[in-house]
Amino acid sequence: MAIQEQETAAEPVRLFRINTGSCNGCDVELAVTSAVAEFDVEQLGCRYTESAREADVLLVTGPLTVKARDEVLRLYAETPRDRLTVAVGVCPVSGGVFRDSYAVDGPLDRHLPVDVNVTGCPPRPQALLEGIRTALEIRKARREGVEPIHEPGDRKPSHADNFPARGRLSFDAAACVDCRMCRHVCAAGAIRFEAGKQGVRLTLWHNSCVFCGLCSHYCPTGALSVTGDWRLDHRAADAFRQVDRGEVLYEPCAGCGEAIIPAAPQLLHAAFRRPNPEIEKLKNLCPACRQQMSIGVPRR
Amino acid sequence: MTTKIIELGPHQLALEEPMYFRVQLEGDRVADLDVLPGQVHRGMEHLVMRRNLYQNITLLERLCSLCSNSHPSTFCAAVEDVAGIAIPERAEYLRAVADEIKRIASHLFCCAVQANAIGEVPLFRRIMEIREIMQRAKEAIYGNRMDLAANVIGGVRYDLTPEAASYLAQAMEQMKKPLDQLYLQFGNNPVLMARMAWVGVLPREAAVECAVVGPVARACGIDYDVRKKSPYGAYDRLDFKVALQTTGDVRARNLVRLAEARQSVSLIEQCLAQLPAGPLCADTLPEIPAGEAIAKSEAPRGELMYYLRTDGSDFPVRLKWRVPSYMNWDALKLMLKGEPVANIPLIVNSIDPCIACTDR
Ligand code: SF4
Ligand code: SF4
Repeated sequence: MAIQEQETAAEPVRLFRINTGSCNGCDVELAVTSAVAEFDVEQLGCRYTESAREADVLLVTGPLTVKARDEVLRLYAETPRDRLTVAVGVCPVSGGVFRDSYAVDGPLDRHLPVDVNVTGCPPRPQALLEGIRTALEIRKARREGVEPIHEPGDRKPSHADNFPARGRLSFDAAACVDCRMCRHVCAAGAIRFEAGKQGVRLTLWHNSCVFCGLCSHYCPTGALSVTGDWRLDHRAADAFRQVDRGEVLYEPCAGCGEAIIPAAPQLLHAAFRRPNPEIEKLKNLCPACRQQMSIGVPRR
Repeated sequence: MTTKIIELGPHQLALEEPMYFRVQLEGDRVADLDVLPGQVHRGMEHLVMRRNLYQNITLLERLCSLCSNSHPSTFCAAVEDVAGIAIPERAEYLRAVADEIKRIASHLFCCAVQANAIGEVPLFRRIMEIREIMQRAKEAIYGNRMDLAANVIGGVRYDLTPEAASYLAQAMEQMKKPLDQLYLQFGNNPVLMARMAWVGVLPREAAVECAVVGPVARACGIDYDVRKKSPYGAYDRLDFKVALQTTGDVRARNLVRLAEARQSVSLIEQCLAQLPAGPLCADTLPEIPAGEAIAKSEAPRGELMYYLRTDGSDFPVRLKWRVPSYMNWDALKLMLKGEPVANIPLIVNSIDPCIACTDR
């Protein structure tokens, strides 16, 4: 890779870390990128520095607590003007699970400009390296006065790749029955439902999600699933594009024509291993018509 | 002798977490010490009451990433106590597997950080490489290298397929030799002895007085391990001895940790051998009545306690916990008294302080 060769030939790029009140997950993983050969930042031509004044790339972890804020801003003021800032983990990007606390004053970009977000909770070291690589691309482009081009990283297959990593969540609107269990169990507030004219829209924010998989565990129909896709680093300007959306469309009730959310086939199969025609009929009826059909009042 | 006050921050202390100390020096020796807390205060007690019991499983796992499994599993145990749920036997074993995996990784991280604090960088790197075996196993089985997402109310939400179990067994085999070697090295290597033996001593009486817990207590000869004292989950069916040392110094703390890590390997092997078949979870959405409960467990840093009160809704009325590092803080003053400034990073790291848990 072009970046790598140039940087190793020249001075190493210096990385400086600030912890703004994290659970230390991200920080322990950053320690791995200085200690473990497979993930060493040296392969990107970088090394860690203990001095903010030397920082070429600033790595910030944690949700930015009220108490840490002044210290963070003081350190930030010491860093050189052309440094790049990388928000590591979902905490600094959105607050993650700690949002809505009196003690948290994030997200980070309310206080200082952020260039790259590395989504994850914590991001695996491979993802950290990809995020740093993205920052280096922006740095290079800025120096040359051109637009950064994204070069896909050459990731080495890792031993764990035989097993799925918990990555991006994916939503299948066709299986959703609008029960909203996922939103109920989501600690990060990453899932939102909005009722529209055509149907109910679900939006899942990857920058808030902590990839716990609880939504998918409790989803009765399997509409939410955990994918192995962990490459979620992106330029901060693209933060609002990091979503998964889907719309559960209304359908007219087979009895009276009122707009309803029909039960998904997945739900019927979960409830009755082999739904019979009677049950299949129920799924397209609104509650009032279902009652009529079951109680046996004459049909419309 | 001149008295001087200095402030030390995370970078000077080689800490992963933002912790600041105000140290009073007499000459070049430590006379007194104040911890300046709060940097990692995220308002957890407030947050847990604004999240329902399900959301709290995920939130509590992020109280601290190094003992991340201990928090949700102890929390779930408290909820299950309130609801009168007995979790399936297979789930008990799977919780123990998750806890012991985290214990090995946590103990190794602590030893690695100390090696770094005394400038033994090759040793630091070697321990971190050994720890990678655990990291890979965590990711392979749970999908994440830090937060396992193993627990739900009523049991667990992961299973060990035969394939995953044999992968884990293989990983355990790989850990044995390196852990034995590290134990010998921390015990006998002259360079490590010179830096760690008789350094940061906490006498047994003082340890009792401060009510320290975990490896810090066991390094002073205090025979206290929740897994033995009040066994929970599968621990009454597992065979192990409480790791003990008597000298109460930095070396002893690390020997306790390394002995425990080795024991955890054996505990995981026992779990794999005994793992009964059956369901993973008692009931997906149990009713949680009004009530209160206390649950305890032996987290990597020591005894962890949860107090929970519910009112029949699925939001907790009160959730409070006592974390192990909180008990070990005060003892730090005694350990540091009279020590040269250069030993501060090592001694502070030797209690394996968790600020994320303590500041919460
Ligand atoms: S993003 Fe997740 S792992 Fe990282 S500090 Fe926040 S809670 Fe911890
Ligand atoms: S995995 Fe699901 S429940 Fe967990 S944080 Fe993401 S959206 Fe929320």
